[in-house]
Amino acid sequence: MNSVPDEDVMLQVRNGEVDMLGVLFDRYQTPLYNFYAKMTQDRVISEDLVQEVFLRILRYRQTYRPGTTFRTWMYQIARNTRIDQVRRTRPETPLVSEPVAPTSLSDSAQHKQEAATLQRALMHLPEDKRELLVLSRFQELKYDEIARLLGCEVGAVKVRIHRALRQLRQVFLQLESGVPATDSHGALDHSLPPGRRLQ
Amino acid sequence: MNCERIAELLPDYLQGGVTIDQASQVEQHCQLCNNCAQDVAVWKKLALVPPAQPSPGSRARFEAMLHAYQTISEERARSAEIARKPKIVWSLFDWLRSPLAASAWSVALLAIGVLIGARFGIGTNVASPSQSEELTAMRSELTNMRQLVALSMLQQQSASERLQGVSWSGREAHLDPQVQSALLHTLRCDSSVDVRLAALDALGRHASQPQVRQGVVDALQEQQSPLVQVALIDQLAEWRDPEAAQRLRNFGQTPNLNPAVRQRAEWAISKLQ
Repeated sequence: MNSVPDEDVMLQVRNGEVDMLGVLFDRYQTPLYNFYAKMTQDRVISEDLVQEVFLRILRYRQTYRPGTTFRTWMYQIARNTRIDQVRRTRPETPLVSEPVAPTSLSDSAQHKQEAATLQRALMHLPEDKRELLVLSRFQELKYDEIARLLGCEVGAVKVRIHRALRQLRQVFLQLESGVPATDSHGALDHSLPPGRRLQ
Repeated sequence: MNCERIAELLPDYLQGGVTIDQASQVEQHCQLCNNCAQDVAVWKKLALVPPAQPSPGSRARFEAMLHAYQTISEERARSAEIARKPKIVWSLFDWLRSPLAASAWSVALLAIGVLIGARFGIGTNVASPSQSEELTAMRSELTNMRQLVALSMLQQQSASERLQGVSWSGREAHLDPQVQSALLHTLRCDSSVDVRLAALDALGRHASQPQVRQGVVDALQEQQSPLVQVALIDQLAEWRDPEAAQRLRNFGQTPNLNPAVRQRAEWAISKLQ
């Protein structure tokens, strides 16, 4: 079953074999969880969003078109799910949340500290820039795949990734030197209660 | 080579998509330019951010959702079948099978296909007013679907599936009245202590709704498990609802009450006064 391409499995799901969605869940629950964990720094929300993506895949399975890369289609759904979640989130109704726990620790204390600072720096970026870096660096999506996902040219993706990286570098260096990062938060960051972020 | 030229190469360099020659151009430039070197260094350092793992219960939750979804689909198909049967007019049915009707159907299906394609097409980021209306309708349908899945899970035989149902239902910012009543029923009557506690936890986030507060107070009288009784008392104390004090006093006088529970009730009353 491992060798069957995602697209073939998805077509089976589309044709009514909904149990086959389990195969795609096993393949993608961890990458999707990591995508959301990097975007939100919130374990509970990330898990909810992963479940929601698979509910949407199930509900809208008929709209999957043969020949479409499943991964791109899935990330399209994942992005929409995230957008809807941000809209639904109300700052006055905070959930009791737990920060994302890494599964492995870096060897040295310095590495751990740098990783924590990078996480904080990522959360200081606006949502769209953070998303580009997460997709390209952590989810390992190629630029042409990101371009299809965002509906823009590959060249535009490269320029935006470079800008995002440059801003991340600036924020990271500010945080490293103990200077509070300048207010480059996205609107989204303001909507998240502070307790949900990884400290 | 200046930064501008390097900026064109850098994104491909970062993903390993350049020639050896281009890579050495970037590296030479980075030896002279601190900013570009730091961009590369930060990109590499992102590898230090460790991957995270979803919790072990995630698969079970997915299976419960899938099961609930299948149950709902089957029920819908059955009720659609029942609703359709008496309305069938045989002459109309015969007409529908005629070649003329077949072409009409083809055109209609094609139009539906085009509409669906336009609606769910990938890469269409700009939404026209009618598209945004469709998106709103789609979101509301998804909310309904989530609620149906939650309701279906709450009625499952297995306690673990009911537990998943509670976690599906409780996280919406606005609790649907049907889900709210199902959660209150679960809190009062579920056979599993774990499920009752989870339902209380989910309801605890909706203190602003008077029916929820009333339901939790009422549940206290019916509870037999000291564990749930203490959790209910704690919840009432946390909400600081002065009206709950009198109910807690009455509850504290229940004969044969567990001493620890009675003590907790007295503590809560003192907090509410």
